[in-house]
Amino acid sequence: MTPTASPATPPSGPLHHRIAWHLRHNPKRELWLAWWTLVVFYNLFFPVFFLITRVQPPPQPAADLATQVQWFHDRHLGLLVGFAIIFLVAGMVPVNNALIAYSMRRMSVSPVFAYSYLIMYSLSAIPGLLLLCIALTVGALRPERDPRLIGWIYDFAFLSYTGTMGVFLIGSLVWMLAILLDKNRVFPKWFGYLNLCNGLTEVVVSPCWIFRRGVLAWNGQIAWWLDVVVFGIYTVVFIVLLRRMIQREDFGTGPLPDLAPKQKGKRSEIEAAA
Amino acid sequence: MTDLAEPNKRARFVPGQPDMWVFVLFETLVFAAYFSFYLFYRAGSPELFLHSQAQLDLRIGVFNTLILLLSSWSVARCVQSSRAGAYQAALRDVFITASFAAVFLVFKVFEWVRLVRTGNGLDSSEFFSYYFFLTGIHFIHLLIGFIVLGVVVYQLRSPARRSQELVETCATYWHTVDFLWVLIFALLYVVR
Repeated sequence: MTPTASPATPPSGPLHHRIAWHLRHNPKRELWLAWWTLVVFYNLFFPVFFLITRVQPPPQPAADLATQVQWFHDRHLGLLVGFAIIFLVAGMVPVNNALIAYSMRRMSVSPVFAYSYLIMYSLSAIPGLLLLCIALTVGALRPERDPRLIGWIYDFAFLSYTGTMGVFLIGSLVWMLAILLDKNRVFPKWFGYLNLCNGLTEVVVSPCWIFRRGVLAWNGQIAWWLDVVVFGIYTVVFIVLLRRMIQREDFGTGPLPDLAPKQKGKRSEIEAAA
Repeated sequence: MTDLAEPNKRARFVPGQPDMWVFVLFETLVFAAYFSFYLFYRAGSPELFLHSQAQLDLRIGVFNTLILLLSSWSVARCVQSSRAGAYQAALRDVFITASFAAVFLVFKVFEWVRLVRTGNGLDSSEFFSYYFFLTGIHFIHLLIGFIVLGVVVYQLRSPARRSQELVETCATYWHTVDFLWVLIFALLYVVR
């Protein structure tokens, strides 16, 4: 229950002095490293998929073989450069998951939640991220292959990526349950319910195995566009909440302290000084 | 004193945890998007949608809607009984709610089987894609509702727990599921 972290004040002075101080003395340096890794990863993830490789929004599932071969041809360089970046930064995914698992270890719930989440999300990265990148890189590097093989790679890549979003469902529910049971107020309860909303939209993707056209196809308005909006909101929210968790972290085992009274205190001090 | 009174005032602003209302609003927005897509595509081929809609049995839709409305009524009674400290009556109301939900699920499965047998499957037409998708995702919400009712039973059973806030939070979830069904029913069965 007792906070173990000593209140340390960063020195004022040049930026590099302050950075050096934080690297040496800040008790939260590992947590901030993990959080910044998360920020860097998502800042690479979205531009790579949407701008460099132009893999997202996904192409037509019902495209004929000639269109599929042309699709690879049009994106040849983007696929190679973009996915090279993803292969380089894929190691950041376990760090992201570790930070989320840390949030659950800080809760008053069993460690089973954190470890099961960590395992599930780390394994989910294989069908949910890496298989798509590997398959499309193979397609880009072997343009001379039989168009039917290219067509198979095209289907395999997008079905492995979009069609297996459900693997994230259980992880989302594990996080939700941990938040709702937690008594340490690590996250607000509404974020637990937002996890359920996110999980429910992951279910919606599953019909893309059946449909090749329409709103439920892998590029459909419901199966893809709406889900991306929900996932985008969810991602921004959890990045902000993880940041607040680190700010509030006292390295104790009881409820996390609030930030607000400190800010109020500071504000009143400033007002008093003024 | 003001600081203490303010959170209490806020807590009473909505029944149950205010956090659950984030779920209610977010799910309402997501379903509003589903409905918008449905109406947009319906406007594109109204005849196809009307023809497919005619295959639905309005009586089952009306019956299921009444059943879910009754379940909402019984969960509201549960909240009232729990507020009054009549926990046995509240428990009875939860089981009545669960029974109504079970009846709804049985009739929904019966309707799905009947439609598939008559050749109206998930991918048989655009209307039926929406029909199975919307009723399917609602079905999942209702299944989660059974877990939510389980939480209410868990709360009401022991005098050591009995959190009125949690009972009301769970009831809010249940009303949301009911409210979403009323909209789905109106769009799929009634709007012509």
